[in-house]
Amino acid sequence: MLLLAAVLAVVLLGLSYLLAQQPYLDARWRQEPPAAVQLLSSPLPALREFQGARLQRIAGAAGQSIDVDAGLLHRSARWSVDDRQRQRQLEQRLQLAKMLQQGPVSLHFGDRGSTELHPKPRGLLGLGFFYWVLNAAAMALVLTAAAVLRTEPKGRNLPYVLIALSQAANLVLIAVETLPGLGLPVWLGSMRAGWHGVLDLCSAAALVHLATLQPLRLPRGRWIATTAWTGCALLSLAVLQGVLPGAWWWTQAAMLACGAVTIALMTWSYSLEPNPFALLMRRLAAAAAVTLLLLSVAVLAADADPAVAQGDAALSSVAWYLFLATLILVLPVFSRVKPVMRELMLLAGTSTVVTSLNLLFSGLFGLSGTVALALSVFVALGAYAGTRRWLLQPVRGRHALGLDRMFGQLYRVLREVEARPRDSAELLTGLLRELFEPMQVHTLERPASRSRVLGEGSALLVPLPRIDAAHAPTSDGSIVLRFAEQGQRMFSRDDAQLCDRVVEQLRRAVAYDKAVERGRNEERARIAQDLHDDIGARLLTLMYQAQTPEMEDYLRNTLKDLKTLTRGLAASEHHLSHAAAEWKADIGQRLAAAQIELRWNLIYDRDVVLGVVQWSALTRVLRELVSNVVQHSCATQLELSIALDAGRLRLTLADDGIGRAPQRWSLGLGLGGVRKRVKLLGGDVQWRENGSAGIVCTVVVAELAGRDAARP
Amino acid sequence: MAVKVLIVEDNPVARSFLCRVVRESFSDVIAITEAGDLESARQQIDLTGGPQGLHGTDPFKLLLVDLELPDGNGMDLLRELSHYPATKIVTTLYSDDDHLFPALQCGADGYLLKEDRFEVLVEELQKIVRGQPPLSPAIARRLLTHFRPGGGGEAAPSDSGFSTAGSFQSSRPVPIEKPLDHERLTPRESEVLTYLSKGFTIKEIASLMGIKWFTVNDHIKSIYKKLNVSSRAEAAVLASKQGLV
Repeated sequence: MLLLAAVLAVVLLGLSYLLAQQPYLDARWRQEPPAAVQLLSSPLPALREFQGARLQRIAGAAGQSIDVDAGLLHRSARWSVDDRQRQRQLEQRLQLAKMLQQGPVSLHFGDRGSTELHPKPRGLLGLGFFYWVLNAAAMALVLTAAAVLRTEPKGRNLPYVLIALSQAANLVLIAVETLPGLGLPVWLGSMRAGWHGVLDLCSAAALVHLATLQPLRLPRGRWIATTAWTGCALLSLAVLQGVLPGAWWWTQAAMLACGAVTIALMTWSYSLEPNPFALLMRRLAAAAAVTLLLLSVAVLAADADPAVAQGDAALSSVAWYLFLATLILVLPVFSRVKPVMRELMLLAGTSTVVTSLNLLFSGLFGLSGTVALALSVFVALGAYAGTRRWLLQPVRGRHALGLDRMFGQLYRVLREVEARPRDSAELLTGLLRELFEPMQVHTLERPASRSRVLGEGSALLVPLPRIDAAHAPTSDGSIVLRFAEQGQRMFSRDDAQLCDRVVEQLRRAVAYDKAVERGRNEERARIAQDLHDDIGARLLTLMYQAQTPEMEDYLRNTLKDLKTLTRGLAASEHHLSHAAAEWKADIGQRLAAAQIELRWNLIYDRDVVLGVVQWSALTRVLRELVSNVVQHSCATQLELSIALDAGRLRLTLADDGIGRAPQRWSLGLGLGGVRKRVKLLGGDVQWRENGSAGIVCTVVVAELAGRDAARP
Repeated sequence: MAVKVLIVEDNPVARSFLCRVVRESFSDVIAITEAGDLESARQQIDLTGGPQGLHGTDPFKLLLVDLELPDGNGMDLLRELSHYPATKIVTTLYSDDDHLFPALQCGADGYLLKEDRFEVLVEELQKIVRGQPPLSPAIARRLLTHFRPGGGGEAAPSDSGFSTAGSFQSSRPVPIEKPLDHERLTPRESEVLTYLSKGFTIKEIASLMGIKWFTVNDHIKSIYKKLNVSSRAEAAVLASKQGLV
């Protein structure tokens, strides 16, 4: 790329050097209606006395001479409507170039006399500002074409490259033609006027070809492209050979026709697949075609009225070419390009409209220069304001989400992600759907580091963050959104940035939430530790010093309850299976000490995760019930069943002891506590006689609010 | 000659209670040394040949160490005494695996829960000395994670205890080297551990596996040993990495 730029610069400098060697007449001329050439000013001392005089003839050293008319000032033959006029203009130019080559020329100013001049080379500084600007634009076009070819060397990009190259050539030609002063290189003078037109026709055909390939390969596109190419090639041949009368008319008509075909093709393509790129291309083609039409009409009007200076016509055509160049420059990167570039394009378009309208007003309505200019600027600004929105809509979006609504959505999703970090991918997808209203959403396995715009703005790739990853922003895959706003809008770089920020915010929200949770856990753990160490040690001392076994047992149970409490505080969740294992080990040990046989049944359909409240309540209920059996029942066997079925928990303790008539029990501290805790769980406890001996205690919790262990 | 026992416990009431438990548990003549903190415990151990138990002096045969001591954690003492030729028992109020598992890793041969009944404590102590250490379901679960291929080293986060729950869920890199033999459990040992983690008693496990109950106990003893050896090997690796050895 850099190499290409260097080569281009060398070529450009070579051309400039060649032009700088060219002898020329340093003077400013003006067309005086109807077709006379008036000397405005000149730094040459020999010409100073002729200021304001009309130039009539130029004679060369070898004796040849040309009669001069305004055609000599009319720089681009491409925009001469009349065939004969164009021919004469070219001849004058060629003759003058030859004369300047040979040596001194004499200028005849009619009755003001004549003077002899020695033409001097113009030097690099004499090339003028405009020359460099146009050449820079041409160079930018070539480089853009090369960049497009390099990033995606596919056949479907070739038409674009052709357009860019032919317009670059056009710009270089214009740059050479607009050199200040009189005197152009002989080779340019001898070139046939048709080349400009040929380059334009080539661009037009390539545009049609491009429209058949991008964004969608259209059915029978090959035929359409071939037809366009054939037509334009035949026309070019005819123009070059000079066999076609009214060449200007034909060229303009062909270009406008190609523009119209392109618009039609894009409409068709959009109906086949709602790619916003088609929408954009249609609008850009329309803009180019409308301005071209305006320019053509303006040139016609100027041509019809000889009072209009030919320089204005040349200026408006140059403005149009520059507009075209900016269009071509931004087309492949329209969604990613900086807004300033798009504004530049719009500005070039506006200036085309201004100059064309200026031409039109002064030609058709005979308005004076200033009035025409003011009026055309006014109208053009109006057109700019109206068009800008319409043209940029594929980038901006039709009904972009209001800021407050967007903020609201973002906030809501943030809250949800904090609550359910595991569903973050789903939530993010939902948010993106609402933000961009894409027609299609695909999920890819391939992770991405950041959001990117794909396919000229038709799609957006957003990485799916692994939200629960602690620090490094890792990605679990990515989402591809296609055709924003139901295909009405292109994704832009701003959208990609927005997505990255949203993802970052989500990650931060979760990290914050985790930090809060961790802090909460640490705090709880600290409280638990304090309770345990402090109160636990005192209870233990009391227990060792207890006077009676009952007191000792009471303190032991209190100590165990304290331990359950602190453990519940410190740990947030327990699997049912793990908790049950500990219950079994603990109860088994206690029953073994009391020489009661334990029959243990555990059945569960799902290994739910018990919350702190449920775990500690169940643990203490079981401990109390078992204590009761150990202390009062004189049983030899205890059958303990725990069954969890569809969220319904059922605990059964059946002993074969001496207990009877439970309805007459007085609910002491222990059994009252059991009732209270079961109620806390939202359940129910009841005791009844177990057949001929013993008691059955049943605890039923209809809806144990445990979470699924599979999705903790 | 009397069997020497060292009891490290800061609470005097608990200390005398533990003395009673020890005297009740053994028929031998017992000489009990009491220490209220780590400092005096270290002094006592230095008197009997230092942490290595050398010089042919008469070392303690049984150590009862409380975890929460005024001048530090009893685990530090256990770590220092990893080569001391005595039965080392942790006495604690904490019954959760987060406190007990590290103690077992430091070389404890068993643990006693201080709030247990006198008779229970006597029985448990006798069992430990006989080589039948207790294993609660939570600790068994923890051991399973510890010995699982790739799960070695740090214990996995558990559902209990005072850890900052769930904050260390980063995936551990899996070692490329094969674990050494002493770091792996035999299939039988894994089976025993699995049953223990589900709350089965030794007798139930014996009948489930069709073996004698003392064979189950042998497996448990072997698991204890492996845990101890593997954590010692780990410590050595760690130390050599840090240039300490």
